[in-house]
Amino acid sequence: MSIEPVVLFFVLGVAAGLLRSDLKIPGVIYEALSIFILLAIGLKGGVELAKYPLGSLIGQGLIIVAIGALIPLIAFPILRFLGRLSRADSASIAAHYGSVSVVTFSVGITLLGHENLDYEGYLIVFLVLLEMPALVIGVILARFGVGPVRWAKLLHEVFFGKSIYLLVGGLIIGYVAGPEGIRPLDRLFFDLFKGVLAFFLLEMGLVAASRIAALRQYGAFLAGFAVVMPLISATLGTVTGWLLGLSVGGTFLLATLFASASYIAAPAAMRIAVPEANPALSIGASLGMTFPFNIFLGIPIYLWMARTIHGG
Amino acid sequence: MPVQSMLLLTILTEAVLEDTMIDELMALGAKGYTISEARGSGTHGVRSGKWTVSGNIRIEVVGDAALIGRIVERLQAQYDRDYGLLMFTTQVELQN
Repeated sequence: MSIEPVVLFFVLGVAAGLLRSDLKIPGVIYEALSIFILLAIGLKGGVELAKYPLGSLIGQGLIIVAIGALIPLIAFPILRFLGRLSRADSASIAAHYGSVSVVTFSVGITLLGHENLDYEGYLIVFLVLLEMPALVIGVILARFGVGPVRWAKLLHEVFFGKSIYLLVGGLIIGYVAGPEGIRPLDRLFFDLFKGVLAFFLLEMGLVAASRIAALRQYGAFLAGFAVVMPLISATLGTVTGWLLGLSVGGTFLLATLFASASYIAAPAAMRIAVPEANPALSIGASLGMTFPFNIFLGIPIYLWMARTIHGG
Repeated sequence: MPVQSMLLLTILTEAVLEDTMIDELMALGAKGYTISEARGSGTHGVRSGKWTVSGNIRIEVVGDAALIGRIVERLQAQYDRDYGLLMFTTQVELQN
């Protein structure tokens, strides 16, 4: 399998950060790129969703969300009892790992294009559906019997935070417009997608480089967790996808979704809902370790897992 | 209008708290505020401003000693333990 060139931009960013290059992507451009990626993914999902009868997806959706919700429940005891982290930190990190990463998912889709593999397009909907339960479970784990929760603020952040809002907005617009209606926007949102993803990965590399140092402070346990946890989640995703009868591409994407850890929506939500958790730990693990692990090693492993379970 | 002596309170805190802070200030009776984006480094590490979670904001509020006292007391009690928060006051002469 050849390396997907778009991830090399991430390496370029990490190298720039480590070599203290003065390369910097202005904050407003980063914001614009992330808005583009969220909208484009949402639109793509909406267009695909329009091809399937919605009713037939509800049962499958419930199963996937229920199994996805197990991830933070598996991660929490590992962090709390094996890693001896505080309750708040364990819960916050568990929420990051239960939640998903749009960019990891995008790299997965790009790889499928590279390999000429089809996938069930409606899986993009799970980017939205898998985000919320993990965050809510994370807050419950942190707060259960300990103190009050600012639920109103948290739920507002979860549903109306930029990422979910744009993904859902894109999904609805794509669904309503359908493949024909969206055609005039194809050039901007679909043809340019890979190029914009390259820019975004360059920036992620710069940010990740600044997080690797922070992670070193917290030792081997967290670094190990950041690699082992995605493998556990991906196994769960592979088996689930296979049992639900998804294609090889679909099984791979579900595994990638389960394995990915959030570093945009979850940090903001956790900062508000569980303020005593140290954000350096959760962001260091998810962005400093898991994200690079996933895009370089994880994604090829998950594709191999999907192919193997499908018997080829 | 005569020059009025007032206090300028500068609050440096995390960007995720922007909405929360605005609600607090208005509830405590502030007449207005100015917010600008900020980055830097302190006891909570480098705040690079690369995205919201690592960004800071600078909030400026002008008011009399009583108002500023109420704000400082409230923010210290609610946010100082868990969030990056730095507050300082400057004597200012309001010109208009």
